[in-house]
Amino acid sequence: MTTAIQRTPPLPLAAFAFTVAGLITLPLLYVSYLALSADFTVWSRLWATRIPELLSNTAWLAVGVAAGSLVLGVTLAWLVVRFEFLGRRVWEWALVLPLAMPTYVLAYVYTHLLGSGGPVEEAWQALVGPEGRILSAQSYAGTTLVMTLDTFPFVYLLSRAALLNLNVSYEEMARACGASRLSTLFRVTLPLMRPAIVASLSLVILYVVSDFGAVSLLRYQTLTYAVYQQITGRYDQAAASVLSLLLVLFALIFLVAERWFRQRSRFYQTIGRYRIPERKPCGPVGTILITAYSTLVLGAAFAIPTLLLIQWSVASVAQGALDARFVGFIWNSALLSGLAASFGVLVGTPLAYLASRWPSRLNVLCLQAAYTGYVLPGPVGALALLVLFSHLAPFWYGSVTILVIAYIVHFLPAGLQSMEPALQQVTPNLEEVARSLGLGLFRSIRRVTLPLVRNGFIVAWVLMFLQSLKELPATLLLRPVGFDTLAVRVWLEASEEYYQLAAPSALLLVLLTLPALMLLVSKDWRAA
Amino acid sequence: MVPDLTSLEQGKRPDEEASSIVLELRKSTCAYEAGRPAISDISLCAHKGELLCLLGPSGCGKTTTLRVIAGFEPIIGGEVYLEGQLVSAAGLLVPTEQRRVGMVFQEYALFPHLRVAENIAFGLRHLSADQRTTQVHAMLVMTGLIGFERRYPHELSGGQQQRVALARALAQKPVILLLDEPFSNLDPDMTGKMRQDLHDLLRRTNTTAILVTHDHDEAFAMADRIAVLNNGCLEQFDTPEAIYHMPSTPFVADFVGQADFIPGVVENGKVVTEIGEFPNQVGYQGGAKVVVMIRPDDIHVVPAENCSTRILARQFRGSENLYTIGLPSGHIIHSSEASTNVYPVGTRVALEVIATHTVLFDQDKIQQWGHSPPPDSDATRGTD
Repeated sequence: MTTAIQRTPPLPLAAFAFTVAGLITLPLLYVSYLALSADFTVWSRLWATRIPELLSNTAWLAVGVAAGSLVLGVTLAWLVVRFEFLGRRVWEWALVLPLAMPTYVLAYVYTHLLGSGGPVEEAWQALVGPEGRILSAQSYAGTTLVMTLDTFPFVYLLSRAALLNLNVSYEEMARACGASRLSTLFRVTLPLMRPAIVASLSLVILYVVSDFGAVSLLRYQTLTYAVYQQITGRYDQAAASVLSLLLVLFALIFLVAERWFRQRSRFYQTIGRYRIPERKPCGPVGTILITAYSTLVLGAAFAIPTLLLIQWSVASVAQGALDARFVGFIWNSALLSGLAASFGVLVGTPLAYLASRWPSRLNVLCLQAAYTGYVLPGPVGALALLVLFSHLAPFWYGSVTILVIAYIVHFLPAGLQSMEPALQQVTPNLEEVARSLGLGLFRSIRRVTLPLVRNGFIVAWVLMFLQSLKELPATLLLRPVGFDTLAVRVWLEASEEYYQLAAPSALLLVLLTLPALMLLVSKDWRAA
Repeated sequence: MVPDLTSLEQGKRPDEEASSIVLELRKSTCAYEAGRPAISDISLCAHKGELLCLLGPSGCGKTTTLRVIAGFEPIIGGEVYLEGQLVSAAGLLVPTEQRRVGMVFQEYALFPHLRVAENIAFGLRHLSADQRTTQVHAMLVMTGLIGFERRYPHELSGGQQQRVALARALAQKPVILLLDEPFSNLDPDMTGKMRQDLHDLLRRTNTTAILVTHDHDEAFAMADRIAVLNNGCLEQFDTPEAIYHMPSTPFVADFVGQADFIPGVVENGKVVTEIGEFPNQVGYQGGAKVVVMIRPDDIHVVPAENCSTRILARQFRGSENLYTIGLPSGHIIHSSEASTNVYPVGTRVALEVIATHTVLFDQDKIQQWGHSPPPDSDATRGTD
């Protein structure tokens, strides 16, 4: 009986998923349509002038940041999961903190830090003489540094979860087969972490490719930045859509690669006994080395920028920056993000569930469709919704609704990235048992699947909330008149180098995301 | 010393090389927490080609013993020798990868990211590509897995997974093969056949193996010798026959099969009990209070109107009927009868005791072990 139930998904669920998938792909299809119907001269002009530079800039940034966050994320996850040292628990959650730091906040702090006459340059010149020069934040290396410091927690989080979920039997088996510790690491542990690593790296790359805040403040020309400039600066929808299509294709490569890797092997929890690997105690030297490494990373990515923001904020508040307007920005930000994250989870669940339980061509396609939102970077999605809504539903144009839709379309994939592995970890047998015990489909989901995947879903909600809170380009382009969010304020003020003025909003943005981050590392959340 | 593939088919008898000891544990103690040893003072040895079973209830320390042999757990006392070399002692732990032990986990732990052939070849890095291919092929043939080499573990049945795990462990020609409850994840219908297959394979390859199990039937079917563990201590280390017929402790007697314990007193060189007299083989002094262990297949029932002994329950087991019998004293005893001998519950019966061998324990020992003490000590004299 259970096989008969299992063969096809319930119709309402499938219909809902199908509709959602259709709506989410609409902006993408529309942008493609705009681009392909653009005049040929637009294409040839752009190809001759902008495109080669933009493509190579974007690609190099993606490669640099991916490499950087891979190294930082995996090594830090490895250290906190496999070693016991003084303050490990604190580091374990503290290393997530950079997620609270929006790229444009970090970018603007680093423009000051690495700027001409900034503190780092002063220190360097004190050391080597007045001719000493340091790398500018407004360069490839500077942009890569800022983006890496901001994105490595994605890799850290997923690698840590994967390491905690790893059945230590595999490693013991490798040792029994004669493999040394090092060899075991490279032949068993890392390959078993591969789904998590590839998933988190694709998250990082998509994040980098679609980032607008940091590159716009650091004046590093990527495709996303160029699209924004085309929309706002030149009001050239045709050129914007051509660049958008390229950007979409670029991001698509990583998305497809990620999917392909993940489909190659399905990792279910091992049956039978499961043991957590024991942590190896560290001596004083090991503790010092690990602490120094973590301090360096966390200092650069979070502590120093935050201290600077606090210092600026104090000065700014003394000048009366906290007024009713400021409270309004807070409310706007929280409302938008909360709505987007909650609807995102509701909309994403059926998609992920269908594709992992009934991986038929159609269901997998629906899930893939949901991921297209992520290859629509802020300005691109905004462009599509802008034009779509002005044609189809002009009364919603310039409303909160259109912004929430833009957020969901854009950030649903971020949520799905952690909802999907969570669902995959529940063996279908568990649900079949529940259903054999007389629970209906929806009750078995509620009583068996949901408790098991809860942590993954919490992470999904938090990720979507965080990203919505920090969202910049779509908000800039789609917000109702006068409806500023914290993110918008920070960007506007930092663009004009009013560092002190931007600090309270930036600091609050960081602080607002902290409780949500705590959720991630709360006791319950052992290995999402 | 190592199973040689060329000699696989000839099937050497294990006792030809019985003198060579492959594994020896001397008073080994292992503790996960200080002061609470998981196993203490375990001493046992395995000869070349021998199949040893570690038998005991869950938590008895059998898996810990296996992990000590594999080198996953350090020991705080005693020594472990593999092929005469000291591999574990207090403060000494030769790493697993240098021990050349083959391991088959309960859940097999097949690497999910590798295909069958890659799993089997995992431990063969030191070989050239050609040698590796040859060895993998030989293993596939040996375990009947030809045609499955390109599959991923999740595409295999439980039995196939077990054979891959075996092939992977044997491919590196281990000094000793360690099997941790290898049948517990399999369909029970299949385990009988698979036990036989595994047994044949180990014999054929003359592999020295240690098998951990909580199932005494499995231990009896497979083992050359059995080590019974309880609470981290070795209760008895002997052949299956001796374990069954001459258990050295009440725990062993009870664990390896149905056993009843009838109190008795030594009088005139005999052990006098409620159900008859038994020889005093161990030489207890007159008046000593003892307990006789008796198994259901040694007791037969005959309906008899004038007896106060009654059948309390019957359990049909296919090939036999197991009767639960209440004695006048309140003691319970079991009898195994042919499956055609059916008597209704409540039938009054006389007992025929076939005591070719008796096992006697001190009554104190029984009480220490926790078996229910005799409800009425006078009953020991009230025999017919």
